[in-house]
Amino acid sequence: MKLFETTHTFFYNWSHVSAANWCKYPNEKCPHVIAIDVLDRHVDPETGILRTERLITCQQNVPRLLSRLYGGNTVIYAREVSEIDPKNKVLRMTSCNLSMNNLINVSETVTYTEDPSDSSKTLFKQEARIKCGESISRFANYIEDFFVQRFRDNAAMGKQGFENVLDRLTGQGETLLLHKKV
Amino acid sequence: MSQSIGRSCDELKKEYDACFNKWYSEKFLKGDLRPECEEIFKKYRDCVLNAVKNKNIDKLLVEARKDDPFSSVAEK
Repeated sequence: MKLFETTHTFFYNWSHVSAANWCKYPNEKCPHVIAIDVLDRHVDPETGILRTERLITCQQNVPRLLSRLYGGNTVIYAREVSEIDPKNKVLRMTSCNLSMNNLINVSETVTYTEDPSDSSKTLFKQEARIKCGESISRFANYIEDFFVQRFRDNAAMGKQGFENVLDRLTGQGETLLLHKKV
Repeated sequence: MSQSIGRSCDELKKEYDACFNKWYSEKFLKGDLRPECEEIFKKYRDCVLNAVKNKNIDKLLVEARKDDPFSSVAEK
């Protein structure tokens, strides 16, 4: 098993970031995300937390060994569940691959929280856990390293792409108000 | 707006996303938790669930929900 972790500070308030999170894709830095769909969504009346289940469709190369075992298919589906607590200003998303999950398990947790020392900033934390299945355990090191590198590349591009989205939305209506007011 | 897994759902998705994003910024973040966009969500969701079934992803989702602490989201 391999772990990947990264942190970042966005210079936008949490409300703006959490609203922009729904508009993150498509962005030119993340062409591998080809579709996003909401499967379920509701607000818990007791806690006020918004829970959303989404299906993410990606297309990106994987090690040949995996794509061969997976019938040459490079379209990967992942399930993401997010919880947004607007009172405490916490957005937490977890995701896991649905495709190839007998071969490899890639699970990711992302959190966006308000910077406790500066409410105009948002702290971002991303953690990924990559674990090969038993059937390909002798290639585990190679394959897990591949996915760690993939995460590193995607994380860097994703950050840039999201910065562009945040910047673009700053000039638009309601999110502009949020950005300035909160 | 991103695309939908079902190409025929793209228009519904666009309409739903626009409704949701407005609600999220203008209502939810300001403390008004009453749901909106329910009708368009139902139409969009039906379309997506159909596409999910056609692509045989529905079984993968059922399995994933079993292992997931947030499975209540999906089962509602």
